[in-house]
Amino acid sequence: MIWRYRLVLFLLLFSFIIVIARLFYWQVVKAQELSLLGQSQYGKTIKIIPQRGEIRTSDKFPIVSNKISFLLFANPKEIKNNTLTKLLSIIDIDESSVSAQLKLDKFWVPLKSGLSVDEKEKINKLKLPGIGFEKHYARYYPEASMAAHLIGFVGKDEAGQDKGYFGLEGYYDRLLRGKEGEAVQIHDAIGRPILAQADENTKAIDGSSLILNIDRSIQFMVEERLKEGLKKYGASGVMAAILEPGTGNVIAMASFPSFSSENYQDYSEDIYKNLFISSIYEPGSTFKPLVMSSAFDAGLVKPETKCPICGGPYSIGGYEIHTWNNKYYKDINMIEVIQHSDNVGMVYVAEKLGVDRMIDYIGKFGIGDLTGIDLQGETAHPLPPKNIWYPVDLATKGFGQGITLTPIELLSAFSAIANKGIRMEPHVVSQIITSDGKKIQIKPKELGRPISESSAKVMTEILVNAVNKGEAAWAAPKGYRVAGKTGTASIPIKGHYDSNQTIASFIGFAPADNPKFSMLVIIDRPTTSIYGAETAAPIFFKIAKNLLLYYGIPPSE
Amino acid sequence: MKKPISLIFLVIFMIIILSIIKTVVSGRLSTSGVSLSKIEEEINNYKTQNIILREKLLTVSSLNNIVSKATLLGFVEKKSEFILSKPLPLAIKQ
Repeated sequence: MIWRYRLVLFLLLFSFIIVIARLFYWQVVKAQELSLLGQSQYGKTIKIIPQRGEIRTSDKFPIVSNKISFLLFANPKEIKNNTLTKLLSIIDIDESSVSAQLKLDKFWVPLKSGLSVDEKEKINKLKLPGIGFEKHYARYYPEASMAAHLIGFVGKDEAGQDKGYFGLEGYYDRLLRGKEGEAVQIHDAIGRPILAQADENTKAIDGSSLILNIDRSIQFMVEERLKEGLKKYGASGVMAAILEPGTGNVIAMASFPSFSSENYQDYSEDIYKNLFISSIYEPGSTFKPLVMSSAFDAGLVKPETKCPICGGPYSIGGYEIHTWNNKYYKDINMIEVIQHSDNVGMVYVAEKLGVDRMIDYIGKFGIGDLTGIDLQGETAHPLPPKNIWYPVDLATKGFGQGITLTPIELLSAFSAIANKGIRMEPHVVSQIITSDGKKIQIKPKELGRPISESSAKVMTEILVNAVNKGEAAWAAPKGYRVAGKTGTASIPIKGHYDSNQTIASFIGFAPADNPKFSMLVIIDRPTTSIYGAETAAPIFFKIAKNLLLYYGIPPSE
Repeated sequence: MKKPISLIFLVIFMIIILSIIKTVVSGRLSTSGVSLSKIEEEINNYKTQNIILREKLLTVSSLNNIVSKATLLGFVEKKSEFILSKPLPLAIKQ
């Protein structure tokens, strides 16, 4: 009998062990999986999409805002045969690809993104089974393509998430994008939502907004003038930027040809780059004020110093240096060297400076370094090392050939002359407003003092003289003291300079005694005339006149 | 020892009352999810309307729109300006 008891006991114990093992399997090994399965039966996770921050001009007008758009999706297992035909009557979709999507063995397939509210309403009225919408925010540009190079655009990253590229969208992407949130909506047996919500909700944080130093009216006016100039002078491209010399605030910046931030896909990728901060060019005569003011600051020349080599072409290192118009003025002084934009005179000044001082001064002007402007895509070409500066290099760099820089580098350096010798960091954003309303002010940043205040003052007077008596005097506004310099740089092609293809430019500031703005206008390969005085200067002065009126500055003479 | 009959009745009465209250409150609360979702839907609808209206407002107040409307109305750019930089040549009675 005992063996029977023992058998029963063993069978009972064995059964208990099996039950305990099975319970361990469900409650410990499979616990998390079952918990998620249960959660999916009583609730669903909802992604809370944050709104991307706005970009507003100095008058607080949002030049970049958000609009609601919808993603149309379908459940292929629920849709009916005529669904596609009905959808095609309302929205423009590729019939073959959507048809293929709807045949997939899935519960969710995307059909079309970027639907407007009206389109969504029209589809809703059809009451199609298995069709749904997901709400998204898309970028909206009230001023259309205005300041496209400054703004950049919002595209998608590898994970399909929104990401800013180029300009402000690229530079401030992390601030603008915000943080996605998550919520679990619990529903009853027939799918109606009930009050309780799961604990693991995370709140969405909207992106911060940017307030720019950009003046919308000035930006609009500058773009209009540049478009006119591009057409009038038959150029390949045209660009301009305006800074406030005392603060480095960027008031306007534009470049053409341009693109639309909203439909960026329709344009070539080459056009996305903001050439004002990323194109490297030889500045030509617009570089001369930097070299001349350096020589003044070092005490090597004075305005009345005579140029002993200016009577004719100058030979150096087997090369012959000519003036731009092959006219030579014997014993002219430094004021006249700038007035006539005399290359030989600048060779004299560069030789006086020497390689060491030249590298030191133009380095202090920020040439060869990034300016630190808050836009994505800035480039800089470092200055060549001292040991490869041959005498002819020093000579040509004196008049702005054989040295490469970006337009923003030149404008930032030149603005130091307008700002009593102090160089400021160029800045586009003036204030950041976080989603909870906190305001973060971006203060002007001083980058150094390349020249003294007195050298800057002397250079200013020479530049005023260059405007009043130089080649572009005809275009200058009467009664105003404007300091400026023309530039006509030949473009190096396959190892030599093509004299018919130039980059024409004009750089200057006004009013000369208390500058309100400094500006650089560049025209790439103008065809009606190759000279800066006949192309870039008229655009510069037209914009300058508008600015002086806009700021309410009366003539001083 | 005397049994606290009144206390027992009070406890039983309290249990019954509280049970009824719980039933009523739970019954009402169970349907408030539907009301809440309706309110949330309404709020979302207003938010959407606000965004759509703001979009229209910004389009209308954009410089591009103002310039094109002004051109249609016949406004042209001023070619010359009149600047008062000196005091007017007028005698002012002191």
